[in-house]
Amino acid sequence: MSERLTTSAELPRAIAASWSLLRLLGRFGMILILPVLLGLGGLLSPAFLGASNLSNLLLQFAPLAIVAMGQAFVMIVRGLDLSVASMMATAAVIATSLSGSAGGIAAVFAATLAVAVAIGVLNGLLVTKRQVSPFLATLATMILLQGFRFAYTQGAPSGNVPPLLRLLGAGRFHGIPYDALVLLALAAGLAVLLHRSAFGRRIFIVGGNPMTARLFGIRSDLVMIGCYVISACLAATAGLILSGYVGLVDNWVGQGYELDSIVACVIGQVSLQGGRGSILGALAGSAMIVIIANEVLLLGLPIQVQMIIKGTAIVIAAALYARRQIGLDD
Amino acid sequence: MTGAVVARTERRWWLRSNASLAGVLVLIGAVSLVGATVSDRFLSVGNFLNVFEQTTDLALVSIGQTLTILSGGIDLSVGSLISLTSCLTSGLINNDPNRVIAVVIGVLALGTLVGFVNAGLVVALRVHPLIVTLGMGAVLQGATLLYALGPVGRVPRGFNFLAYGRIYGLPLGATIAVLLCLLIALLLRYLPLGRQIYALGDDANAARLVGLRRTRILMLVYGCSGFCCAATGLYLAARFGVGQPYTGVNYTLASITPVVLGGTLLSGGKGGVSGTLLGAFLIALLNNLLNFMDVSKHYQLVAQAVIIMLAVSVYVERRRTV
Repeated sequence: MSERLTTSAELPRAIAASWSLLRLLGRFGMILILPVLLGLGGLLSPAFLGASNLSNLLLQFAPLAIVAMGQAFVMIVRGLDLSVASMMATAAVIATSLSGSAGGIAAVFAATLAVAVAIGVLNGLLVTKRQVSPFLATLATMILLQGFRFAYTQGAPSGNVPPLLRLLGAGRFHGIPYDALVLLALAAGLAVLLHRSAFGRRIFIVGGNPMTARLFGIRSDLVMIGCYVISACLAATAGLILSGYVGLVDNWVGQGYELDSIVACVIGQVSLQGGRGSILGALAGSAMIVIIANEVLLLGLPIQVQMIIKGTAIVIAAALYARRQIGLDD
Repeated sequence: MTGAVVARTERRWWLRSNASLAGVLVLIGAVSLVGATVSDRFLSVGNFLNVFEQTTDLALVSIGQTLTILSGGIDLSVGSLISLTSCLTSGLINNDPNRVIAVVIGVLALGTLVGFVNAGLVVALRVHPLIVTLGMGAVLQGATLLYALGPVGRVPRGFNFLAYGRIYGLPLGATIAVLLCLLIALLLRYLPLGRQIYALGDDANAARLVGLRRTRILMLVYGCSGFCCAATGLYLAARFGVGQPYTGVNYTLASITPVVLGGTLLSGGKGGVSGTLLGAFLIALLNNLLNFMDVSKHYQLVAQAVIIMLAVSVYVERRRTV
């Protein structure tokens, strides 16, 4: 009797074990390609693996990775956030326009946080309460922020980037960029939130099957709004860091990050259909994009070629890693 | 008596299935009313023809975009393709009237070809259209910049007839857009391949089980979108007199707004091109109104965002109650 119990308990586990290696490979395959890319980069141009270039890579990696992590949260609950780039630029504009004020850096952080939370809530409310498609809701907030930003700056933002942000965006601590340290802390916190907390579990349930979530009594709307707020806050953080990296501000800080972050997530196996994804995936996808861009630059190719190679690489990478999740197995 | 009931249910059915179309018309009416109070010139025929003329570019791109969205996909390469085709148009014609016809045909063929490649990649690589067309967009923008880093070439003087010409008082470009829209609407309604676009967009799996040929449908859809982009590129080259490598950047996302305003579901399978045309007209009309009101360009963006939010929120409410 007891033997039968153990066998019946063992059997599925055995099956699971035989599959788990494949599943692990499927799950972490995108991380395995990173060393390959790095090695290839080293072969193509010797400077690539030098300490200073690696440090540079980390520096450029952090803003995209931070945005991509937020994008992952939204994508897991079946959304998309096109407003991230606009949010980044808005954060940068706030930072420079408030840097001279009495509150200084504290005021900058408070104002940025307030705007980010407001935008996140607006996105979330449109998507949940009004059932607007996420693509459109965030597109509208993107245009909205852009309009307010242009109206506020009259088209020409002025002011200086606060020194603390300069340090965060471009400074190094024993060769390790500060923004990479910020990224590390954020990634650890968000990984725990997404993969180890009750809230994270709810995110996956809501994204995987909204009906189940409702039957479980999960307040899907709150969970989804939370995800949009997280995304907006992370985008604002990335915007502050990026403005520190660039050293000056214009109305287009972060342009292109909305699509790059989505691509990073898709390469990192965050499902466009929702319900699947990981922080690690978002990080790996971002890393791939940054590495490819950096390699092209080091090869001394013109910027146009870089765009062509980037576009091709995105499609190839997606073909290798993302097709399983689309579910068009014909 | 039954006849009356049938007629009434039919009328109600029409209203329901065209609720979003009615929605755009209501919004157009509302904007016109506001406009009438702002200026008595707003409601004149001349002004409406102007707005009609200003709708052309957005209408052309969005008509193609409607098809890709109906099929359950999206085309994010439109902006770069417009830039490329407008640069090629003025660069290759280079002020030589003899080359106009050949270049126009060539550019339209190129646009269609790019669409075919998009469709082929979606099918062959089994990657989501969002990614494929995004990658294609980057490649095309790179190619455009390889061809020209700044404004390139010139179109002959007569060529701008496409943008500014009027036939019997009607703006030529916009009329072409309307005819194109009509053609595609008929195609969607009466050709089997047209109906299959809806089937594919509604449920890709069911479409596959029924035996629909996804490749052929996608070729048509993305080919049309590419063709429309090339037409937009030609139009913009005619309007500005010169092709610019970044002229199309904003159309990528802007082309989606009229589609959704016109009641086409972003998830595919429901909607049509006539709504898109009205949606594009609504946006042009709104911008025209804000110009009349002397609102700065910056706040025009805000107004546009608010209109999008309002419009889509209202539709959804209606969709839910149906």
